[in-house]
Amino acid sequence: MTLDVTGTGVSYAARAVKVSKIYGEGDAAVRALDSVTVGFPSGRFTAIMGPSGSGKSTLMHCLAGLDAVTSGNVFLGTTDLSSLDDKALTQLRRDQVGFIFQAYNLLPTLTAAENITLPLDLAGRKPDQGWLDRVIDTVGLRSRLTHRPTELSGGQQQRVAVARALATRPRIVFADEPTGNLDSRAGAEVLGFLRQSVDDLGQTIVMVTHDPTAAGYADAAVFLGDGHIVDEMEAPTAERVLDRLKTLEA
Amino acid sequence: MRRVMIKGLLAHKLRLALTALSVVLGVGFVAGTFVLTDTLSSTFDNLFAQVNGNTDAQIQSTQTLKPQDPSEPHRGPVPDSILATVEKVPGVALAGGYLSGQADIIGKDGKILSGQAPNFGASASSLGTLSPFKIKEGRSPKGPTEMAMDAGTAKREHFALGDKVRVEASQTGTYTLVGIVSFGTQDDLAGAKFALWDVPTAQQVLHRPGEFDTISVKAAKGVSRPELVQRLQTVLPAGLQAITSDAAAAQQADQVKKSLSFLSTFLLAFAGVALFVGAFIIYNTFTIIVAQRLRELALLRALGASRRQVTRSVLAEGVVVGFFASLVGVGFGVVVAIGLKAIFSAVGADLPSTAMVIKPRTVIVPVVVGVLITTLSSWGPARKASKVPPVAAIRGAESIPEGRSLRRRLVSGGLVLALGIAALVGGLAGGGIALVGFGALIFYGGVAMLSPLVAAPLARLIGAPAARLGLPGRLGRLNAMRNPRRTSSTAAALMIGLGLVSFVTILAASLKTSFAATLNRSVKADYIIQGANGGEGKFSREVALQLAQKQELSAVSAMRFNGEFKLDGVTKRDDAVDPYTFSDVMDVDVRHGKVSDFVPGTLLVADTVAKDKHWQVGQQVTLAFPRTGDQSMKIVAIYHDAALFQNGYIITLDDYGANAADDLDSLVLAKRANGVSDAAARAAVAPVLAQYPSVEMQDQAQFKDQVAGQIDKALVFVVILLMLAVFIALIGIVNTLALSIFERTRELGLLRAVGMGRRQLRRMIRWESVIITILGAVLGLAVGAFFGWAAVSSMGSIGVDRLSFPVGRLILFVVVAGLAGVVAAIFPARRAAKLDVLQAIAHE
Repeated sequence: MTLDVTGTGVSYAARAVKVSKIYGEGDAAVRALDSVTVGFPSGRFTAIMGPSGSGKSTLMHCLAGLDAVTSGNVFLGTTDLSSLDDKALTQLRRDQVGFIFQAYNLLPTLTAAENITLPLDLAGRKPDQGWLDRVIDTVGLRSRLTHRPTELSGGQQQRVAVARALATRPRIVFADEPTGNLDSRAGAEVLGFLRQSVDDLGQTIVMVTHDPTAAGYADAAVFLGDGHIVDEMEAPTAERVLDRLKTLEA
Repeated sequence: MRRVMIKGLLAHKLRLALTALSVVLGVGFVAGTFVLTDTLSSTFDNLFAQVNGNTDAQIQSTQTLKPQDPSEPHRGPVPDSILATVEKVPGVALAGGYLSGQADIIGKDGKILSGQAPNFGASASSLGTLSPFKIKEGRSPKGPTEMAMDAGTAKREHFALGDKVRVEASQTGTYTLVGIVSFGTQDDLAGAKFALWDVPTAQQVLHRPGEFDTISVKAAKGVSRPELVQRLQTVLPAGLQAITSDAAAAQQADQVKKSLSFLSTFLLAFAGVALFVGAFIIYNTFTIIVAQRLRELALLRALGASRRQVTRSVLAEGVVVGFFASLVGVGFGVVVAIGLKAIFSAVGADLPSTAMVIKPRTVIVPVVVGVLITTLSSWGPARKASKVPPVAAIRGAESIPEGRSLRRRLVSGGLVLALGIAALVGGLAGGGIALVGFGALIFYGGVAMLSPLVAAPLARLIGAPAARLGLPGRLGRLNAMRNPRRTSSTAAALMIGLGLVSFVTILAASLKTSFAATLNRSVKADYIIQGANGGEGKFSREVALQLAQKQELSAVSAMRFNGEFKLDGVTKRDDAVDPYTFSDVMDVDVRHGKVSDFVPGTLLVADTVAKDKHWQVGQQVTLAFPRTGDQSMKIVAIYHDAALFQNGYIITLDDYGANAADDLDSLVLAKRANGVSDAAARAAVAPVLAQYPSVEMQDQAQFKDQVAGQIDKALVFVVILLMLAVFIALIGIVNTLALSIFERTRELGLLRAVGMGRRQLRRMIRWESVIITILGAVLGLAVGAFFGWAAVSSMGSIGVDRLSFPVGRLILFVVVAGLAGVVAAIFPARRAAKLDVLQAIAHE
């Protein structure tokens, strides 16, 4: 998967080709990503794993067009992100990317329903009501739509965030430690919804996490260490991921 | 703790600068007012020292009247016969009489010289020795055909020696210019225009036969001033007194200082408004800062800082900001004063140059006021800060527990509001202007306390059109509604300024409407003849006499305003009319008595006066006049409609003339004869008007327009002064928005991440700003309408009886406020749009 990024057999939702990201200059320069080449196939749930400081968040930010790469190319579908200006990137994020963050990142002034349709409203697009209903039912929020974030539990807020990420039918959803702030029951619920959206709705999801249990929900896991891809794992389980991480950190 | 505070201050330079600016402007206004009035005062001190510099003593009447207009004579006359006696007093080296009055020099274009400065005619006795005037070119005028002029006017109007100059005064004539005078070393005296004649001619021209205003005396060598005064006093009859020239200078300067102190109070009132607005902004800023530093403050508490230490650290920040901002403000004020003085010079009111006077008070008072206001305004937020529980550091509480429940706020705000209304109404009902001001202040406080209750629903309403225009508008509206306290206190700062602006606008409109109604009701004349340039000066009685000859006019009636007399020792003013013709041109709505009984020796009084004094028709009252002394006069009628006669006492022209220091009319009303067209009437009077350039004739419509124009001019002046308060409020909006944006960094990052464009982001912030400003404008309009209603309902007795809302203008204010909101949002919006998305999301 890592090497076959130009391959014809697989359709990639996002690809990084020889991507490097350097923060700072001179002696203070930190190489967060070092010539990383990786691809994320459509319709799959991939986890990016690694110890803190391994560059996993940076990779996700670069893939999502939130951060510019120092060298190399990032493709979303067939679009080369390095060729886009801020306006085009904003539009791309709006139309093709969904985000789920660790802290729920909902607008406190909007209701759950309004938060879900926020990217659509920003784009001035009419929501596809059938799709929206399906998403809302998938995450089980039907009865909470008119509530504001402060009236929802942490798990419910994150489910709103999941629904928002799915609402635009994005090419790809990036989830950054989506269960980091949740207790294990709520976390399992959210991960279950992510899994379900891949299986039932055909969504592509890339999730950054350091939680082996979370990675267990994914189709594949990519391991990062010191800015390099160090390993990959198909059909990961929590135990196998944990073992792999132990060797990485050792 | 001190280090924590200083670090905190330095970490937020911009916030600091904006907060400070709101203090700087108000304090600068105070300091500038002090510098300006002190400097003007010192200028006039110098001037009067110069005026009296050549003399040692002055003889004047003991009879004083309180002048409301400094250019009016305010003492009785000195008979010129006494001069011979004075000259014979041992120790008198030189004595000369001086008199002055209104005299308009006609320019070479045949028009009266324009400009705001007054026109004077004066006697040119003892030029260069006793008189403050010195011959610069030519010689002293002698005889009835010669005159002199001040050098400034001669230069401006290109008059040269030998020119024939026409001068309109009580007696109008043409004179040969034989002398050009300077005023000490000054060519120009604040733009005043002087025509000078020898004493007999001046007495003739100014209609002051046998009179002087004062006699100036120079002592012989070896005779001291007090000694001279003592000797003079022995020969003076009752009613005259001698004073030293120093005392005379002090007296004159005192006069000017009184009008300066009025100016100073007037300007300080506006400075006070600016400071009041500044206080709101400081309060607001510190409240937001405390909310944002919640965790930091809680951490300090958790680490062992006492409540008092937390309070002090916030308060100290206020004091430091207040102190430095006030210092800068004083500097700013001096610069403003220099600028104002330069403007005075530029418009021709050149004053003898004096160094800027900066007294200790000029620095101390503004600094103390500035520090006091910032300290008081940061007191509440500081106390709130101390209530942060230490556990908030760990728990990361979202906000401080709100102090007061809405219900309690409703009660306390309502009480404050009621107190304000009571003080306001009490003040307007005769409690004095200070009580009115205090009431307005408290009223504003009450409205500000109550406004959080209405802020959210109002913002929802105001933002409704914005919400229709898409998501940025909707989010902007929600942001404006999410913190009603913050929104309303930001808007309240704007409300203060706009409340006053709309108040004066409503008042001006009401004045205009009332005045027009008065004219329609009570003035039956077709034409109004008054002094040129909107009735600035008075004019010769010849105008009325000549107009009365015209057959095209059926009635011509002259009037004189604002004569002075004393009633039970209190100076009052009267108006005078021609008793035989005035009923033809005016209807003052006589309620008791008959105008046909109106003859010299009688008077008419307004019903408000009659009621106040418990006077009846037929009653004799004693009025003390400057020249004729105590006069027992009979009340022949009581009228209701003050109309043009605001003073409440109407006497005959004869009685007025016997006491006036000139022989000039203020106004002439004329009525067209039956069947005569407007054009024919105007053609008939044209030759008379041509002969007297100092008058202009208007029909009622023109007269109304002109008065409306004058009211508008005053309105513009006041509005400009109030704009400072509005401007400071806008700074407050910038500040609040900037702080709110800082607070919502994460949220903004999220919005950007999920696809909000920079333009949409800017639009969202712009809408929030516009909603806040319009909210402030709407609250301001409501307050202004209330003030306007209160003021107008207390002004019925002076003829202001119609409350009028200039809807177009008031709507314009709201629109302009909205536009100002767009401007205020520029900087915060740009800042928000520049946020780095990643950092914003990671922002704590």
